[in-house]
Amino acid sequence: MTGSQFGVFGIDPWWLVLLKVLAIFVMLVLLTLFTIWWERRVVSRMQNRIGPNRVGPFGLLQSLMDGFKLALKEEIIPKAAHVGVYWIAPVISATAAFLAFAVIPFGPTVSIFGVETPLQLTDFPVSVLYVLAIASIGIYGIVLAGWSSGSTYPLLGGLRSSAQMISYEIAMGMSFVAVFLYAGSMATSEIVSAQEPIWFAVILLPSFLIYVTSMVGETNRAPFDLPEAEGELVGGFHTEYSSLKFAMFFLAEYINMVTVSALATTLFLGGWLAPWPLSLWESANTGWWPLLWWLAKVQIFIFIFIWLRATLPRLRYDQFMKFGWKVLIPASIIWIMIVAAARVLRNDIDFSNRELLIIGAVVIAVLLVGSWLAQVVIDRRDTARKLALAEFENRTYDPIAGGFPVPPMPGQQAVLTSRRTASPVVQQEAIDG
Amino acid sequence: MTEVNLGEEIVFWISGGLAVLGALGMILSKKAVHSALWVALTMINLAILYIANSAPFLGMVQVIVYTGAVMMLFLFVLMVVGVDSSDSLIETLKGQRLVSIVLAIGLAILLIAGVGAGLTDVVPVGLEEANGVDGGNVEGIARLLFTDYLIAFEVTSALLITAALGAMVLAHRERWLPRASQAELSRSRFLGAGHPGNLPSSGTYARHNAVDTPALLPDGSPSELSIPGPLVARGDVRPIDHHDVDQIESLGGGTK
Amino acid sequence: MNVYTPILVLGILAFAFAVFSVAAATFTGPKRYNRAKYDAYECGIEPTPQPVGGGRFPVKYYLTAMLFIVFDIEIVFLYPWAVAFDRLAIFGLIEMLVFIITVLVVYAYVWRRRGLEWD
Repeated sequence: MTGSQFGVFGIDPWWLVLLKVLAIFVMLVLLTLFTIWWERRVVSRMQNRIGPNRVGPFGLLQSLMDGFKLALKEEIIPKAAHVGVYWIAPVISATAAFLAFAVIPFGPTVSIFGVETPLQLTDFPVSVLYVLAIASIGIYGIVLAGWSSGSTYPLLGGLRSSAQMISYEIAMGMSFVAVFLYAGSMATSEIVSAQEPIWFAVILLPSFLIYVTSMVGETNRAPFDLPEAEGELVGGFHTEYSSLKFAMFFLAEYINMVTVSALATTLFLGGWLAPWPLSLWESANTGWWPLLWWLAKVQIFIFIFIWLRATLPRLRYDQFMKFGWKVLIPASIIWIMIVAAARVLRNDIDFSNRELLIIGAVVIAVLLVGSWLAQVVIDRRDTARKLALAEFENRTYDPIAGGFPVPPMPGQQAVLTSRRTASPVVQQEAIDG
Repeated sequence: MTEVNLGEEIVFWISGGLAVLGALGMILSKKAVHSALWVALTMINLAILYIANSAPFLGMVQVIVYTGAVMMLFLFVLMVVGVDSSDSLIETLKGQRLVSIVLAIGLAILLIAGVGAGLTDVVPVGLEEANGVDGGNVEGIARLLFTDYLIAFEVTSALLITAALGAMVLAHRERWLPRASQAELSRSRFLGAGHPGNLPSSGTYARHNAVDTPALLPDGSPSELSIPGPLVARGDVRPIDHHDVDQIESLGGGTK
Repeated sequence: MNVYTPILVLGILAFAFAVFSVAAATFTGPKRYNRAKYDAYECGIEPTPQPVGGGRFPVKYYLTAMLFIVFDIEIVFLYPWAVAFDRLAIFGLIEMLVFIITVLVVYAYVWRRRGLEWD
């Protein structure tokens, strides 16, 4: 079933599989607790506050205690909830969040109790697709939570989440294409080893930027945290959830944050490979050290998440959707085509790197000028349209233009006939207005 | 891999069973939303079956595409038939239920007998080769898709165009006026007759801070601007308990 | 041991943990009945009466969902193409260009008709 390159996966003895599964589970729970604490401390610092510092050293146990507190809170299930779906939604969210981590590589082959095994639970030829598939199952948890609560705000929040996540999933999926093109594989372990000389974040910078942007949208984090815009939707999809059910959503959100960071590390920052000055040390990529590099890279992404939250205000919904559909998606399609064309030119037609760079610069310049021209044309048309409308509105409305009854155009005021004026509703309107 | 091993058999019976359960649930649910969810269960289990049959790419694509598709079905149900609607179980054609059950059972017997007879004692051939000849499952699919089945692949784009066009025709409402920008909205708010700034928030100096409790003006009368219009229309505005207000003011040291 | 078995094991553990937590919530917390607590949350007012059948939804979401599927399928074709690109070479580039440009036609149409604007 598996190609020869996946020979190292799927041959672990059962106790090692159990050990790895347990290790991933514990690591994710601990990372969640740590990230919540870290986020609160960092955001506090950025806002000139101190943050949680009472429970345990530096307040480290704060999120654990918060978890216990949630467990001791009363569980409230609204009367109007659809009980079965209401129960299963947090389960779907949390399970999907844990599952996505199965294919993330943490390090090279190490020896655990005398068994040589890679520091990765499993891998197969389409493992990046597996992460995408699990992520799209995870969306169900949110939509179902919104729907099953039987309440207005969660329903709106759930639908908004799903619209947001599917919009940004496309940009995210497209940013992978260039990586697959360069790695020639969709398996996480092979993508990491394909970045041995140089990371994909360097040679595929636009893909990296698109991925980083869409991963923030995908995890519903600030500045893209519209599904839980407090001023509009209260808590969003989890408004009606309390106690441990709420804790499951919270857990899933933070695990998803870690997952997308880990995926970014794997696809663009060389996974567990040592960064440049460290990679000069010859044993940097052997043994357990890579685990440390991996963790450091993931923590950088998590810090960026927190930094964004402390810095940027929330986007308006229409701006957010516009950004996803009109900027990220066309940009990724064009970038994919540029990458593919450059690769063909290099491999088959034997262009040198310098010629490629010149061609690339020309293409990008043409695109920039073209988009600027298009914007000018569109702006001019919009202004003309607005002027024409303003002029049109100023004309009086003729209800029987050319001998036929005509409804008022938008912006025109219907002239009240004597019959309409006589009706009580219109009279009331006239008084109010 | 030509032999069906035990693990594969277990996966088949569990996932196959769940897929059939999902299909049955889809048909038997009264609520349209529940039906959509059962479809999701069926699709995911079909994906597991594909993966068990050494087609991992197809399996993952099944999940990615169909979760989106089912999500759309779900949204469609929410939009067209309402959040909580359920099917009416009244027979509109007389005897239709009986006839359809009989026909369905007949079709099932036919299919099971036909496919069962055709597929017993079949030895699977060429799976290893198909997945190995191009260096893997994905590479094999890519070679077939982008060479032998090129026309089919290109024609798919026409299908996608049709789908998007259809959605536009069904769901898109053309705007007559250009959308008012934030600056224009603000200008019209200030030039218009309405309240230019934020409306006063509800519940100030009152016992509750719920939105149905009006704010009090300095003379103690309720401010009508502080309550949302729909609540006034519904008659849900909470009356002010002046005794409470006096008590609170006396606690505050007589700020009047 | 199959490459997919560890996923199953992780799935079972995660599922068991989630089910346990969700079920435990019923027993760990206190229970104090109060009618208002079980109403839908609406900023402290009586819940707005819902229409029979529970109200409907802006059809706008449908367009987004459909466009998502269109692009999702496009991406699904892009993946094997990217993996096998070095072998398909210039032929692969041209056929994918034809495909993408065809899909971009409808994208341009939707954009032009302001289907991508949300308000």
